[in-house]
Amino acid sequence: MQRRYRTIKDLKINESAKAISFEDSNLACKLTSMGVLPGTRIEMIRTSPFGSAYYVKADGVRLALREEEAASILLEI
Amino acid sequence: MHGDGDSHPLKIALIGNPNSGKSTVFNQLTGLRQRTGNFPGVTVEVKEGTIHFPNSQEAVLYDFPGTYSLYPTSSDEKVVATVMCNPVDPFFPDVLLYVADVTKLEKHLLLFTQLLDLKLPIVLALNMADSAAGLGIKINSQKLSEIFGVPVVPISGRTGHNTMRLLLEMEKLVTQNASIVRPAFYPLTESEKQVVEAVRLNLSIEEPYRALLIAHHANWLPFLKNTEKETVAAILDTKKFQSLRAQVDETLERYDRFTPITQATISTPPAFPNTGTDRIDAILTHRIWGPTVFFLVMLLVFQAIFDWSTYPMDWIEQGFGMLAEFFTSKLPAAWYTELLTDGILAGLGGILVFVPQIALLFFLISILEEIGYMSRVVFMFDKTMRRFGMNGRSMVSLISGSACAVPAIMSSRTISNWQERLITVMVTPFISCSARIPVYLVLIGLAVPAIKIAGVFNLQSLVFGAMYLLGLLTAFLAGWAMKRWLNRREHSFLAIELPVYRMPHWKNVFLNVWENVRSFIAGAGKIILIVSIALWALSRFGPGDAIAQAEKSALVEAAEKGKDSTATEDLVQQRRLEASWAGQAGKWMEPAIRPLGYDWKIGIALLTSFAAREVFTGTLAVLYNMGDQEADITSRTETEAKATLRQKMKAEKFSDSGKPVYSLATALSLLVFYALAMQCFSTLAVVRRETGNWKWAGLQFVCMSMLAYFAAWAVYILFS
Repeated sequence: MQRRYRTIKDLKINESAKAISFEDSNLACKLTSMGVLPGTRIEMIRTSPFGSAYYVKADGVRLALREEEAASILLEI
Repeated sequence: MHGDGDSHPLKIALIGNPNSGKSTVFNQLTGLRQRTGNFPGVTVEVKEGTIHFPNSQEAVLYDFPGTYSLYPTSSDEKVVATVMCNPVDPFFPDVLLYVADVTKLEKHLLLFTQLLDLKLPIVLALNMADSAAGLGIKINSQKLSEIFGVPVVPISGRTGHNTMRLLLEMEKLVTQNASIVRPAFYPLTESEKQVVEAVRLNLSIEEPYRALLIAHHANWLPFLKNTEKETVAAILDTKKFQSLRAQVDETLERYDRFTPITQATISTPPAFPNTGTDRIDAILTHRIWGPTVFFLVMLLVFQAIFDWSTYPMDWIEQGFGMLAEFFTSKLPAAWYTELLTDGILAGLGGILVFVPQIALLFFLISILEEIGYMSRVVFMFDKTMRRFGMNGRSMVSLISGSACAVPAIMSSRTISNWQERLITVMVTPFISCSARIPVYLVLIGLAVPAIKIAGVFNLQSLVFGAMYLLGLLTAFLAGWAMKRWLNRREHSFLAIELPVYRMPHWKNVFLNVWENVRSFIAGAGKIILIVSIALWALSRFGPGDAIAQAEKSALVEAAEKGKDSTATEDLVQQRRLEASWAGQAGKWMEPAIRPLGYDWKIGIALLTSFAAREVFTGTLAVLYNMGDQEADITSRTETEAKATLRQKMKAEKFSDSGKPVYSLATALSLLVFYALAMQCFSTLAVVRRETGNWKWAGLQFVCMSMLAYFAAWAVYILFS
């Protein structure tokens, strides 16, 4: 099956896209309580110095996410 | 007065999201009337302070950990949910004070609406009203108050704006003491209703939302009985209730309900992007500049501890030296004068001399925390830390561990993954804390020559740095080993908010420093003082007339060898000590520590410093009968030709072989021992509390002691 979605991992620096759903329900619980909801625009700011973590902005909230956390957030194409 | 009568102190809970400025509000309301349960015996880590209402009534204010939701993901956040689910909890409040950051109200109301549904009296404080006005944000707090049915007060924790109004509103709620009739903010879904009814019936809980919370959290809530947990599990099972799904749905529903409210009551200018923070982060979290700046900051911190703090330390030492001299000259030469100068004053000086370093370290670390830098460190080093079984958040623990392991271990509570948190707790004591500094200083001064290497680096400073490196490397190695050993696959989060940079609020910084210094003096200080006094007694008295006998034979021996009066006095002191209780204990353990190059006097110091390692220098000072001259041991200027501890130690010889006790090999072996051994009772007690049982604390103690013993042994063999 062809991949019909992309995740935060696929964003380039300074690119942004709307989040559609959170695939990991534990993380969904955490992110929604922090105010990052489905439908929020997420912007990639930079990757961490030693890799494997992302600095993103979601509706004014600055967030650090791990690679696999970023990969569990599906974005609008 | 409140309903339950005078016996029950009025309790107010301060709750809010992380970075809502909650602790600033707490400090504004309580000032110096606050304390933390930093030391054993407190089960929940909650700061408490006293507040005075305008009508002169008093209440206890509890500062709960910053929390996003009643659906917690870390043990820090679990505290709030635990207390709110259990009306008989000792921390369960009469009134809630909810603090929200006005500039982020559209996010900070989630927890507030959850608390609303628990039907407790609440005051909503809209913090940072001053910066909101500056940003052009207008709030209709009157309308907010009408919609939620609770008093709403715009405040500023920083300037103290409206603090009085806040107090008056809380006072009103306290005196009214009316039962709360409020429609539920969040309407339960059909399946939630069924679960809630069953839980209410079986566990006899009145509030529907509390019953729902208990249904969600039954598997970990500490106050539920096992039978109750089973009942709830059975209910969830028969109703096929999907807890996580329901939590997310409820959260989203709440946002849907309060977002229109914030939109109707707050007028925000189109965007306030905080470009300052973005510009700073472009450097501070940069691929190359980020770690570089971090390294420089750490260098500055250590420079502060080792260099700047020597001035106040010298003053304290000189002060105690003068005090002891004063008492020796004014009081008659009796046992109680000795107790005062050699026991109590020597012990007190040994405690207070650390205060400048501890204060400075906590000062710098709280500034880093206050301005928001720590979460950037977490972001940058998450990957590195995970290699060693930890979490980016463990960096905060390891950095604080260079001040003191006790608060450092407590700061690991923000780590949601159990294994990462456990490893952080287990390895943090390897980081050289401020209590090891005086031990290092004495031993390095003794064994390492003060020469320059390559014309620039002081060899003593290099060895000092190497001790820190040794602790750090061992911590990472131990983390790596534990990761391999435990190897649990469990959900692990980073997902951390990187707050907007702010100027530090100095009141918070100073209160934090004060709190930590005070608990150091009260907690560790008490142990040191008791040990110093006990030690003085044990080394002054002995079994039967052993001491008198030893004195007599020493005098005879000195006369035979034709020694002068000072040499005779030294010999007498030496023999008396050998015959004392402490001497006997040291001799008894000498065979066990001889392979490491230690004699019985070091043995006594090892024994006494088991409770707190900083006792080591104090013990040696008492053992070598330094009394007031102990003052000189940590001073680096050796202008006065006094018989300092260092010089006395240098002259020390093994009684059988006649070789000097403090060779390079022995000193290095001792250094390694003190770097690696778990010699701090307060830390062990905190580890027990944080991990839930003695198993991990015991394992930590045994492993660290064994590692220290064998590493010290290896070093001794290598260098002798």
